[in-house]
Amino acid sequence: MGKCQPGTRILGAAVAVVALFLGGVACGSDSSSGAGSTLEMWTFKQAHVKPLQDAAASFKEKTGITVNVTAYTPDDAFKSKIQSAAASKNVADVLEVHAAGEDFVLGGSGILADLSSVVTPEWKSRFLKGTADAGLVAEDRYQRSLKPKAPDAGIKTGQYFSVPLTAGTFGIVYANKSKLVAAGLDPAKPPTTWSEFINWLKIVNAKDPQTGGLTLGLKAPTTGFNWALQPLTFGLLGKEKYQALFSNDPARSWASPDGQRALALYDQLTPYWSPGTQTLGIDDADRAFAQGKAAFDIGGTFTLAAFQQNGMNPGDVVAFGLPAAEGSVAGPLKLAPLALTGLAVSAQTKKQDDAIKWLDYLTSVEQAGAFAQASLDLPGTDLGADASRLLGPDLTTLQNVFGDAAAGAYDPADVTFFSPAYEDKLAGEALVRMSPLKESTPASLSQELGTMIATSWK
Amino acid sequence: MEVSHKRRRKLREALTGYAFVLPALVLFAVLGVYTVGYGLALSFARWNGFSANWIWVGLGNYRDLLYRDETLSPIVRDAAVNTAVVMIAVPLLAVVAGLPVALALNRITALRTTLRTVYFLPYVTTGIAVFYAWTYVLQPEGSLNAILKGLGLGTLAQPQGFLGNPATALPTLIAVLAWSSIPVAILLYLTGLQSIDPAVLDAARVDGATGLRTISAVIWPLLRPITAAVVLLNLRDALQGFQMFLVMTNGGPGGHTNVLGLQAYNLAFFSELRPTLGLASALGWLLFVVALILAAVNVRVLKSRT
Repeated sequence: MGKCQPGTRILGAAVAVVALFLGGVACGSDSSSGAGSTLEMWTFKQAHVKPLQDAAASFKEKTGITVNVTAYTPDDAFKSKIQSAAASKNVADVLEVHAAGEDFVLGGSGILADLSSVVTPEWKSRFLKGTADAGLVAEDRYQRSLKPKAPDAGIKTGQYFSVPLTAGTFGIVYANKSKLVAAGLDPAKPPTTWSEFINWLKIVNAKDPQTGGLTLGLKAPTTGFNWALQPLTFGLLGKEKYQALFSNDPARSWASPDGQRALALYDQLTPYWSPGTQTLGIDDADRAFAQGKAAFDIGGTFTLAAFQQNGMNPGDVVAFGLPAAEGSVAGPLKLAPLALTGLAVSAQTKKQDDAIKWLDYLTSVEQAGAFAQASLDLPGTDLGADASRLLGPDLTTLQNVFGDAAAGAYDPADVTFFSPAYEDKLAGEALVRMSPLKESTPASLSQELGTMIATSWK
Repeated sequence: MEVSHKRRRKLREALTGYAFVLPALVLFAVLGVYTVGYGLALSFARWNGFSANWIWVGLGNYRDLLYRDETLSPIVRDAAVNTAVVMIAVPLLAVVAGLPVALALNRITALRTTLRTVYFLPYVTTGIAVFYAWTYVLQPEGSLNAILKGLGLGTLAQPQGFLGNPATALPTLIAVLAWSSIPVAILLYLTGLQSIDPAVLDAARVDGATGLRTISAVIWPLLRPITAAVVLLNLRDALQGFQMFLVMTNGGPGGHTNVLGLQAYNLAFFSELRPTLGLASALGWLLFVVALILAAVNVRVLKSRT
């Protein structure tokens, strides 16, 4: 072989670089739309990958559009992935996001497309009451976003960033049927008041102190505060006084006698926590319950799927809503469903029409039912009269705890009364220090929370 | 003509040299200077990682961390205290445990290689998986409690697990951190011991020095630079490392094991998408300054003692 001249070598190298670049561009971009096109979808829930892939297979049969589903877990990895992808203009076409929170942050940052002109009233009518507008920027949300340190700066009233995929609520108590029976309790008659619930805990714990306790993933300290204390307090005080606990008025905040009363009720759980529950994450606690290491677990409607994934038969579990205390203003306590995850479309995608078709397909009644059965997650789509057929008995039981927020049910999605700078993690850690750690009392904790809330308003 | 030819050749050689260095320089410029500059700029801004614009706050993030934010600054202070405890305890344990083991390993002949491998295992196996394994060992029904009960030491067992009791959580994490850092101390001390001139030790022996006296008056002073290196390495790990705290306790129970590195991580990624990336960056820079001071102190110690 003869030697190349320097000029020839440079030319060759330049051609190679251009060819590589073009090749890279050709590989990385597929802007074709309609049948034969491919959508990328990212989710943060590993358990949703298989049900979504199943849905994608039937979607392809119907439309010819391929959907590739990828999970990025845990949550921080998912957020980092979106951050870096947004910077390099490489976000997936469709995202499953936390509804009524993450979608607004991403929408306000220009990463998600505004779907307000696409999601028609007819489409919205498919969803469970109270969840259809989870992705809608209401006026109060917009006003909060204008405050310094608000996470969702940039949103505008009327924008719509996600349609509900899964719905549910927090404050569901799960109990192990066989442990209840062994302690002489009737699983068919779950407690209807807080004191009955405490009595159940006492009886089962006395029978089996090591594995008869209550677990909750308190390593994520917000769980105790958000999933147990808040619904309990809402029931006890009613909506108006409950919301006042988070207000800038010290006389009515957590430092008030009302706050102290609610904390004293929660403190009744202290003797019955299963050993070491404060060291368990949410998944660890669900696993511990599924393995029989605890008799009770407080979670959300989504927790049932975790039990099944950990090898427990959902039929071995009795589920009931957190009971209200005697004399509660809003008792018996009902829990309003909220959209837990939503489907959003990237503002960067060139295949918005295909993405909308995919969203439309996933939120249809038949497909939502199939997704729910496969994932054991309740769908955001209202399945109407077909609910029990499509959901099966276990999920149908969970739906029984739902109530209408307008009729006085506790609505965890309503956070409009929080200070934009309020951090529930700090409140949760303070609660853990009271129960189970016994480092503070309801009286001292109420003062601490009162100061924390007051500071968040400054 | 000859001079000009030489000059051209020198120039070509120089250019060739620069061409070889250029990729590394570009890489450093992109991955080093750019990211460091970006991080420094971020520490003066408010941003959530998603929005298009940063809001410049000057020294506001530093002020919030140190004293201005009534919610955040006490948490940072508590985390700083925990970090300081870890920074004192872990290097101390590494030296106190590492030196005797290294002395023993240096002296024995039988099974020396096997024992060195055994003592070095914690270092090569340490990581996320091992930290998870430790959490199982330390749970209420974990093997540590079982062993203590089996040995008749049930009073030492922790019903809430060693990580669930606020009084034992931080000391337990320190013990695990020391467990993973002692092997490097042993290795460094072994290297130091083998570089000591045997004639010096012979002279001490001839002068009638006992084994303990030889260690305290001859070996320990000669190993002072190694001790400084062991201390510095462990100080750095204690100051900046947070993986173990994240995996094993996530700062709990009730915030009792929060450290500065973990606090920075939580501000960056677990603040519910609030615009706290700048705070995380500012905390990172504060840690950098502390590390710089420690390094300077270390250099001074080395200079004055060797």
